[in-house]
Amino acid sequence: MRYVRLVAALFRAAAQQQLADRADFAFGLLQSILNLGAGIIGLAVLFGQVRTLRGWDFPATLALLGTYLLLRALYGLAIGPSLDGLAGVRGDVYTGRFDFTLLRPVNVQFLSSAERWHPLALLDAALGAAVLVVATGQLGRALDAARLATFLVALMAGAALLYALALACATLVFWLPGLFFTWLFDIVFELARFPAQLYPPWTRLVLTSIIPIAVITTVPAQALTGTLHVTSLAGAVALAGAALVAATMLFRRGLRRYASASS
Amino acid sequence: MNLRAGWALIGTTWTMRLQTRGLFFIEALSWMVAPLAFLFVWVTAAGSGTVGGFSRGEFVAYYLLLIVIAQVTNVQHEWTVGDAIASGDLNRLLLRPMAPVLDVLAQDVAAVTVTLLFAFPVGAVLALLLRPELHPTPSDVILFFPALTLAWALRFCWSYALASLAFWTSRAGGLFSLHAALLFLLAGQVAPVALLPKPLRAVAILLPFRYMLGFPVEVLSGHLDATGIARGLAWQLGWLIVCLALARLLWRLGVRRYTAWGG
Amino acid sequence: MNRPEISVHGLTKSYRVPERGAGLKATLGSLVQRTYRQVEAVQDVTFSIEAGEIVGFLGPNGAGKTTTLKLLAGLLHPTSGCASVAGFVPWRREPAFLRRISMVLGNKSQMLWAIPPLDTFRVLGEIYGVPPAQLRTTLDELITLLDLTALVTKPVRTLSLGERMKCELVCALLYRPSVLFLDEPTLGLDVTMQARLRVFIADYNRRASATILLTSHTLADIMALCSRVLFIHDGRLRYDGDLRTLARRLAPFKFIDLMLYGDDPATGDDAVLPPGASVVASSHGHLRVRAERAAAPAIAAHLLQTLPVEDLTVEDPPIETIVDQLYRGGPR
Repeated sequence: MRYVRLVAALFRAAAQQQLADRADFAFGLLQSILNLGAGIIGLAVLFGQVRTLRGWDFPATLALLGTYLLLRALYGLAIGPSLDGLAGVRGDVYTGRFDFTLLRPVNVQFLSSAERWHPLALLDAALGAAVLVVATGQLGRALDAARLATFLVALMAGAALLYALALACATLVFWLPGLFFTWLFDIVFELARFPAQLYPPWTRLVLTSIIPIAVITTVPAQALTGTLHVTSLAGAVALAGAALVAATMLFRRGLRRYASASS
Repeated sequence: MNLRAGWALIGTTWTMRLQTRGLFFIEALSWMVAPLAFLFVWVTAAGSGTVGGFSRGEFVAYYLLLIVIAQVTNVQHEWTVGDAIASGDLNRLLLRPMAPVLDVLAQDVAAVTVTLLFAFPVGAVLALLLRPELHPTPSDVILFFPALTLAWALRFCWSYALASLAFWTSRAGGLFSLHAALLFLLAGQVAPVALLPKPLRAVAILLPFRYMLGFPVEVLSGHLDATGIARGLAWQLGWLIVCLALARLLWRLGVRRYTAWGG
Repeated sequence: MNRPEISVHGLTKSYRVPERGAGLKATLGSLVQRTYRQVEAVQDVTFSIEAGEIVGFLGPNGAGKTTTLKLLAGLLHPTSGCASVAGFVPWRREPAFLRRISMVLGNKSQMLWAIPPLDTFRVLGEIYGVPPAQLRTTLDELITLLDLTALVTKPVRTLSLGERMKCELVCALLYRPSVLFLDEPTLGLDVTMQARLRVFIADYNRRASATILLTSHTLADIMALCSRVLFIHDGRLRYDGDLRTLARRLAPFKFIDLMLYGDDPATGDDAVLPPGASVVASSHGHLRVRAERAAAPAIAAHLLQTLPVEDLTVEDPPIETIVDQLYRGGPR
């Protein structure tokens, strides 16, 4: 309960700051729309040349793009900016500001993941959701409760997996403080724009088991199109859970290693 | 021209990059991910046939070339210089007995050499794995070099002009992101320009982005005929002259404003 | 009540630091193999502090002051030894403990950069679980005392260093901690601001009975606020007690300044100097003599009789020189 109030306080403070300036807001909106446009046009170019690609047609791939945009927006809402704040030569760990995070009577992992908020990301989330709605409409089959439920479960598993991978990446900062690992994560996450099936077999293997980025978006999209096997869903949920546990343990090890930068 | 200072600068940048040994690999790697993703997707699309006149192997060749060439032409100074302006760090550069542009150039040379050292072997390995098809004519190969040089020069001047915007607005970063989206669409990353739908293709030929990256790739991959290359080179030269003039003008105006305002 | 607020025994902290050479060759070498050296930051430190004391930590850079403070705040785990702060073991980092202590780091800011200070105060209030009514009262008090009313709604980057430091103090005190760790709080501030902060800190100590540990390079801070100093050098605690006693022990002499009448150059070769006295400086009409502490009154009297003295002052050696000497060699 306390944590909810804390989140509310943090969000309110950030919102007051970010949404105060109308020009900034307009700018952010423009950027969001342009990013969306680039993504959609990219897909349109691809599907302008072919009709289906390994079982994925334009609406299905569009649904995946919508999932990708939505999840990326939710990541960019708080977890992304907060974890980013740890890394790099201006980051909390390198400068020693992380000391203050350790001094708070609040769970360190929580604070590290939710300290900085970027309310404008809600715009991107809305746009992503809009794409999802449009794509679902185009899929040709009415969406029933069962598929919707499956989709939501898959989406949550995807979000959990996303957090776990981002956290693991950010934790590397305790071993190499000056490096921007979260940026690395951002780049690799780009690969989740496309369905896993579109990649060659060995890449697909890497992206679904070793660095399971593709699972984050492909599984929910498949749920939406109704092509998801129960076993795949179960696998995704189990993977997400295991990844969360592993990432949390890694973070704790990183904390133990942290010796604050001396003055 | 202070050559000794220039060499010293290159030397220190080398040392800096090698010191943070992780950073160097991560940066180089991160650049390759997005083009690789598109490589895979287009290869899948081509299957055993062709798409838009490109076979599987030709897609591989196009994107591998793109990856390597991007290392040369995609050094993004709008960010580094823009950052220096916004943070006031430019003062330090303006105080030196060399124009700041030389500092930037020196960094460029160091950065490009280091990343090429990484890009070539990786590109070679990928070529072995993916089996590209490349049939350039001798004139293609010869004309590639001026195309590449012009592309680099164009990109350099353009990013300097962009960076100058930071003298007038603190929201320059947003503009750079917008610009990146345009580059993504029109410079040949999403698809070779030839594969873009007609209206988009026309825009891409008009705007300078293609000439910063896609055009040299197209030359070397042998997909352009003599008139195509000649026209492209003419566009490159034209845009280079415009951007050079623009960059110099904006920079001079900007520095005047910057020093008048006391940074 | 008898238990000291802070009690430290045999505290030791050492760690490995990678060796980094300069130049291209060394860098390439380090790519292949990394070498480490051992740093003994804090060695076998023992002391205790009663509630409500203000204690100063003196020592050269890298002596181990900040490391000790961080150990006591629970930020670091010691290699060996034990400590108790406000009844808790610091490195267990229990929430109840964290709510009782506060740290101000001179060169680092704990304010969230993108939002105005007032919002950071509110967020911190939420983090520390301060009831809203109490938070309002405390904030009003602190903001008024520190003259921040006009500033707390401005963006952080527009504040000067002094104003920012005042905000840092508000951050540190808004939940009324009972133990305060101040690491170089006056770093980079001008003299007026330093003086005002000193007054504020002393006042807070009185009103809240807070225990304060202070490190500072500005001797004026230590002298104004601390009745007791701990001198740390090379990771070891060299001295624990009153600063003036230390100064007197290290420098068992006094300076006698003489202003002389007349045109005759004050001469050091005047054979009139009694034993235990030596000339430190002489110039036209002015003489400075160093005298052993015990013999100083007698020497002063002698000089008054034998020289045309217009004015005479007897003073202790400036603490700065003593501390300087301390930093360089440590008390013997």
